Amino acid sequence: MKTNRPAWLPMLICEITRIPLRTAFCILLLLTIAQNKAHAQGPLDKPVTITINNEPLKQALDKITAASGVRFTYNETVAKSTAKISLSAQNQPLGDVLKKALAPHPFSFTVLDNEVLIKYDASKAKKQVAAPADGKYTVSGTIKSKQTGETIIGANIRVSGANTGTSSNEYGFYSLTLPAGNHELSISAMGQKTVVMPISLNANLKLDIALEDNSQLLQEVTIKAAPAGARDLASPQMGVEHLSIQETKNIPVLLGERDVIKTIQLLPGIKSAGEGSGGFFVRGGATDQNLILLDEAPVYNASHLLGFFSTFNSDAIKNMNIYKGDMPAQYGGRLSSVLDVKMNDGNNQKFGVSGGIGLIAARVNVEGPIQKGKSSFLISARRTYADAFLKLSKDSIAKNSQLYFYDLNAKANYVLGDKDRLFISGYFGKDVLKAADIAGINWGNTTATLRWNHIFNSQLFSNTSLIYSNYDYKLNIKQDVNEYNIYSQIRDFNFKEDMQWYAGDKNTISFGVNSIYHTIKPGEISATGNSGVISQSLQNRYALENAAYVSNTWKATDRFTLTYGVRLSAFTILGSGDYYDIDADGNIIGSKHYTPGQEVKTYVNLEPRVAAAFQLNDVSSIKASYARNAQNLHLISNSNSGSPTDKWVASTNIIKPELADQFSVGYYKDFNEHNYEFTVESYYKKLQNQIDYRNGANVFTNQPIETQLLYGKGRAYGAEFLLKKKTGRLSGWISYTLSKSERMIDGINNNQWYNARQDRTHDIAIVAMYKASDKWTFSANFVYYTGDAVTFPSGKYQVNGVTYYYYTNRNADRMPAYHRLDLGATKQLKKTAKFQSDLTFSLYNAYGNPNAYRIFFRDNKTDASRTEAVRTTLFTFVPSVTYNFKF
Amino acid sequence: MKNTIKYITITLFAAALSSCEKAIDLKLKDTTPQYVVEGVLTDAAGGCKVLLSQTKNFTDNNDFNGISGATVTMADDNNNVYPLTATSTGVYQNSTLTGIPGHTYQLNVNIDGKTFTSSCLMLPAVPLDSIYLVKDELVNNKDGTTRKYVTVKYNDPAAVKNYYRFVQYVNGRKEETIMLEDDEFTNGQVVNNNLRFSNDNDNPARDIRPGNEVTIEMMSIDQAVYKYFYSLSNSANGDGNNAAPANPLTNIKGGALGYFSVHTVVKKTLIAP
Repeated sequence: MKTNRPAWLPMLICEITRIPLRTAFCILLLLTIAQNKAHAQGPLDKPVTITINNEPLKQALDKITAASGVRFTYNETVAKSTAKISLSAQNQPLGDVLKKALAPHPFSFTVLDNEVLIKYDASKAKKQVAAPADGKYTVSGTIKSKQTGETIIGANIRVSGANTGTSSNEYGFYSLTLPAGNHELSISAMGQKTVVMPISLNANLKLDIALEDNSQLLQEVTIKAAPAGARDLASPQMGVEHLSIQETKNIPVLLGERDVIKTIQLLPGIKSAGEGSGGFFVRGGATDQNLILLDEAPVYNASHLLGFFSTFNSDAIKNMNIYKGDMPAQYGGRLSSVLDVKMNDGNNQKFGVSGGIGLIAARVNVEGPIQKGKSSFLISARRTYADAFLKLSKDSIAKNSQLYFYDLNAKANYVLGDKDRLFISGYFGKDVLKAADIAGINWGNTTATLRWNHIFNSQLFSNTSLIYSNYDYKLNIKQDVNEYNIYSQIRDFNFKEDMQWYAGDKNTISFGVNSIYHTIKPGEISATGNSGVISQSLQNRYALENAAYVSNTWKATDRFTLTYGVRLSAFTILGSGDYYDIDADGNIIGSKHYTPGQEVKTYVNLEPRVAAAFQLNDVSSIKASYARNAQNLHLISNSNSGSPTDKWVASTNIIKPELADQFSVGYYKDFNEHNYEFTVESYYKKLQNQIDYRNGANVFTNQPIETQLLYGKGRAYGAEFLLKKKTGRLSGWISYTLSKSERMIDGINNNQWYNARQDRTHDIAIVAMYKASDKWTFSANFVYYTGDAVTFPSGKYQVNGVTYYYYTNRNADRMPAYHRLDLGATKQLKKTAKFQSDLTFSLYNAYGNPNAYRIFFRDNKTDASRTEAVRTTLFTFVPSVTYNFKF
Repeated sequence: MKNTIKYITITLFAAALSSCEKAIDLKLKDTTPQYVVEGVLTDAAGGCKVLLSQTKNFTDNNDFNGISGATVTMADDNNNVYPLTATSTGVYQNSTLTGIPGHTYQLNVNIDGKTFTSSCLMLPAVPLDSIYLVKDELVNNKDGTTRKYVTVKYNDPAAVKNYYRFVQYVNGRKEETIMLEDDEFTNGQVVNNNLRFSNDNDNPARDIRPGNEVTIEMMSIDQAVYKYFYSLSNSANGDGNNAAPANPLTNIKGGALGYFSVHTVVKKTLIAP
């Protein structure tokens, strides 16, 4: 906005938001303006003498001001307009001059006190679109935040009055090919003010757009100003959930740490793996079937503190998408989902510090420009001090324990020119769990990404990435004179090239290649002392994972869009190392040694991805999709809740790539002026080459892991419902999932189908946020789900005088249903341009339901002649308070 | 060593996830009773014993559910058959048969038209050099006194794969914990192996205290018996740590639970200082 006039503000807002509920207000305002006009006598009558030849509108207006003394008021749409003005006047009234000069352009004018308001006029624009035009041109550029310079992912760029549009890619780039002539672009993004921008297209146009942060608008309007249709009805992409970090802000969480991974678990089809576990299940898949990317780098263990927190520090996170199995062809390598998390780039406008202090953790985030408007950096760090509480424990082990994590996100970007941008980002995190110098384990991820964006031309965008990621753990045990160290690691070097070709107004083609070199160190043990343990290490495993993909999104008609593509993946297992032949009972019957770099085996998989969307009308659409995914890295776990020491293994000559084929259909509807969104998706997923431990498997062995494994297939199906209220004082959603997930493994459960552990019939989440006033925001979420499928005893017997349990069918029993209510409140303490602070309160499990973390069986402590079932509960009534600040 | 690592790791995570426990009423399925065979033959006199019982429902008491009326025999590899006679309900013994290392023995149990068989090789004894106590630096006894464990010292033979099972008696009370070791990481070495156990029901009689007489039996068992006890202790003890509890891998054919272990035994005793 160009002027400071306060009367102008609500009107602009009306124009921007175009929300009919505000119509009355707008009409009122227009009436006022009309009245002004009727009474106006001043500025338009002023005589003016001037000649302007084909100059941009803003410049032309400045010249008129200089010549006539009349000032103009206009917004950014006008200021940025590419319209060229020509006029010549000799002592004519300003009104006539403007009328003539603006006639061919989509602008009109009216008087506002002593000034003239120049205003974008959509009705004029539409008439002009109809005018015959020559050929097609492309408008392209980058969408950014005005305040921070952060690029905006997934901003919607729509052409008014036509059913065309696009959205910005993960680097904020967009490209839209349109017929020559005048158009009106409307650019909207979550949490940003919508900008309407007229363009006049007679050549390819580069148009970078800066969106203003919404929070600075009037309170009431803020709530109304969310962009219409956050879910893209026209896009064939299914099974995707977008979440900007702002959306997670008010959702109450355990111990007050905002967490994207906890938030997505409130969405349909994505389920928590339970308290004390950082994992999540997507559409009946296992936790290792989720590809978790942080700035494109795979994160192998996305949880801290045994799952209480995710590795994603929300201060450093810009945005995340999760694809529930209908992955675009650019992603591959996991069966169930891709969670694509993008870090902030850092504010390139001004230096800022933000942070928070909570009961168990503190955070600090520093960001600022390296060169203003061009390059920036960001450093974000967290450290917990949970172990302070352990000191209060009566338990002697707990008292002498250490339990903490820290992590660090850092990023910098540099603009090399109009066409090139470099990003370097990294993550380093570590968890430490230690008991009085006797035993300790630490584990953590390290990732680093170097990226280069290059815009070849207005239609061709390229990103090249070099990625490193590492996960390792180290276990140290001292006992008597003995000391053991166990170390395990998985490390990737990764090259990725992704191209997006906006080939005309009908086709968008993505293609690229990806190559990852994996090194897995399954474990090495070193021992000192008298235990007789010989220090040794299991053979490293090496593999090269290559993939190439191409995919086209074809806008066949205004209503029908089809995305079709294919990903070709090749997983090559490389020497050196010994590979084995194993019989049905898991005994080794032969082995072959491979030399360094020698190919052991290559698995090639063709993964077709097809998705179609048919838009029924402006507010509803139906979609269908099919996708195949292959997975060559497998996490082998037999513990209930997942442990940092679970083993990642690559496919071998015996372990085949896991395959999933997913079919899904969905119906999407926006209603009540896009304030509400309703989604139903239903899927059927077929899984091949699923892996499980044998009964009685030895988890701690230097034998080849294949000796302990069995293989089979799986199936999962379900329906997911989501009703979301996106705007208003009260916002939130209700999600419900009805689903089934089963496995059939050769050698388990008499080769019959059995429930996967993560099989949950019902899963409900209700999330509500209420903005009570400028100061207070309240929130609540409620979750209910069917207990996990587990195996409970069907009887008991004595061996050596000790009770053991008899089991029949695998996973035929259920944990008790899980339910919980969390409450949250945020109080804005200070809010000025320079300093903001707030206090966040939360109460996790507000009615203290004793949810079962684990159920075990034992002889009754007081009456040993009886057995009992014992439930353990982790969290009931966990309050927290966090102070957040920003300056 | 494996036990040490497993035990300490579990202790570590358990401490981190300290939680509240409550006995609950859980409806569990009942099933038709299954036979359980515990067949043992040692190289010591009186070491031939078979226990035959049936599973019970979870809500029943824990008393040994012995089954009488079975025909139980053992046979050596010279086809000499030794009948076992019932000495009490479900307990069958033969007082003359003792195993000889290097020989394979057959077990045969007939009950109610069902036949359960197994065979097992007696492996030569590995000498137990010494036993001594070490202090636990991580955990104390429930009453705050120092917690102690026995360490067994032996020389693992390099030429063969060895599997060991240890049974501990404190003042004649048998420790419930299954203590196993193999030589996967210690082949041919002098081994000092710490026999840890978790006193999870806080029974003071299980702790090793000054003045206690502690006896260790060291058994050289075969691989199948090792697998049985390994899987029994990992997946059938009801501790809820295993994601997929299952019946242990038995070496008995014919559809019974249990095991047939033919093993040598060596013993050592100490008085806790």
